[in-house]
Amino acid sequence: MTPGFKSTFSTQDIFARRVVQELDNSLDDLPHHVSERLRVARLRAMGLHKRTAEQLAFSPSIQIQNGVATLGRGPASESGYSVFWEKLVSFLPLIALLLGLMIIHEFQNDLRVRELADVDQALLLDDLPPDAYTDPGFLKFLSVPRESVESAQQ
Amino acid sequence: MATEKELSDFLKSVEKRAFKRSIYHVRDEEAALDIVQDSMMKLAEHYAEKPASELPMLFQRILSNTTLDWFRRQKTKNALFTNFNEFESESGPDEMDFLDIKSSENETLMGESAEQNFSHTQNVQEIEEEIKKLPARQREAFLLRYWEELDVSETASAMGCSEGSVKTHCSRAIQALYSALTAKGIKP
Repeated sequence: MTPGFKSTFSTQDIFARRVVQELDNSLDDLPHHVSERLRVARLRAMGLHKRTAEQLAFSPSIQIQNGVATLGRGPASESGYSVFWEKLVSFLPLIALLLGLMIIHEFQNDLRVRELADVDQALLLDDLPPDAYTDPGFLKFLSVPRESVESAQQ
Repeated sequence: MATEKELSDFLKSVEKRAFKRSIYHVRDEEAALDIVQDSMMKLAEHYAEKPASELPMLFQRILSNTTLDWFRRQKTKNALFTNFNEFESESGPDEMDFLDIKSSENETLMGESAEQNFSHTQNVQEIEEEIKKLPARQREAFLLRYWEELDVSETASAMGCSEGSVKTHCSRAIQALYSALTAKGIKP
């Protein structure tokens, strides 16, 4: 061995790079069946990668922050289609609340109308003719409390 | 996360070197091809979510571990197992047949004639044989550091040893290669 070779790092470095350059040059001379087998292996790996990526896309992710693990959305939720549906779903409770309020309002309205109808029906079926309500004396009679009328009669 | 194209390009760029590295270790073409395929599939299956920048390191580790697994399986299959101990520890170069072909010196790759091309092929064979003769840890350090172009810390991380050990392994490997190739009249 050359005495200087051992001590000179850069000389070693240059020699090493020449050696690997030779190895690199020999890579193109690999037999066809080896190159083909490597290509098939790569394609298989890519197929596996595709399947794994799809699984990852549909699985929920767990995000850990400040010691708290949160079950989050999978990467697929970042696509525009999923974001649209997620926004739509997040509005569902609000829509349900509005629908509920509308139904309650309709129900209350209907109840009031029915009560008024009952009153009207009772008045119409009563012995007292409806014309009596147009009489000012009768209206005065109705506004006076019943007890005071009875005590006055006694 | 590495895209499909990034992973495909990466695998394409490393597959041949990975095959050569494996064959230097296991010295069996079929086994080397299986190791490379297993390594590729492990990378694609288990590290699909990793960014492209982490792929080289991960792949080197997977390749090393898959090679070790192969040796372990061989050890189980055969009682006559020789290479694993060499891979695990720093022992001397192993015994193997060596094609004693002398080559001409100072040949350039540019404008090679058929004869020069033949000599060049022989040179490469000699270099490969000498690399195979290196102790496994030295060979691994040398190939990761110079062929895979990992830096010292990355090589240390891939090999599971200190940076100092990587430097020592590399230095010894280069000295051994230099001595052996010079003795055969080969100057890369």
